Amino acid sequence: MNIHSYEKIWLVVAILLIVGFISTVTYGATAVGIDMVSDDGGTVNASALDEDPRFSDPRVEQVGDNEYEAYVVAQQFIFKPDPITVPANSTVTFFITSPDVIHGFEIVGTNANTMVIPGQVAELTVNFNEAGEYGVLCHEYCGSGHHTMEGSVVVQPEDEFENGGAE
Amino acid sequence: MEEEQTVRELGHDEFNPNGTLALITLYFLILVVMWVFMYFVEFLGNELTVVG
Repeated sequence: MNIHSYEKIWLVVAILLIVGFISTVTYGATAVGIDMVSDDGGTVNASALDEDPRFSDPRVEQVGDNEYEAYVVAQQFIFKPDPITVPANSTVTFFITSPDVIHGFEIVGTNANTMVIPGQVAELTVNFNEAGEYGVLCHEYCGSGHHTMEGSVVVQPEDEFENGGAE
Repeated sequence: MEEEQTVRELGHDEFNPNGTLALITLYFLILVVMWVFMYFVEFLGNELTVVG
């Protein structure tokens, strides 16, 4: 088969491009530690969240040194708890579910972003390094009050944080 | 009425579409730069990132 030299160049370069795409994503997943939002949180009975041990009392819970778990309920048209209060220099795993319709959970301007599906628990882990405040938005149309559905994540300096959320 | 036409025979390997090559090279470079920017600057630089 007679292949023109330009075509050979294109074949090689196009393959290198694909290899490049795959290796950058692999680099992100291994060296940087980027992960996916997972469904390891399992499922819940969406119509009986108030009886669920994890979600009857939406809260932030300390589970280790600098490790916290946040149980968040997204419902028409609020997030509970609000604000979600965590300390700086911590690793926080969010477990998020909904009792009514599909919602979104996005810590605004960051990669921490997931859908919230009734009956399913979205799980994502995030490192908070510095104190500050983030907005939280619902980005899946969930009803007439969707545009007002917002919450916040308050990252407090470590020495000011008390478990359960200091005021 | 017949006109005399100039006919030039070009073999497969002698035809070099340099303009196309230049255009595709340019597109390719834009693509690579945009990928690097999108992944390393916009995505990885956009803390908080899901790590687990």
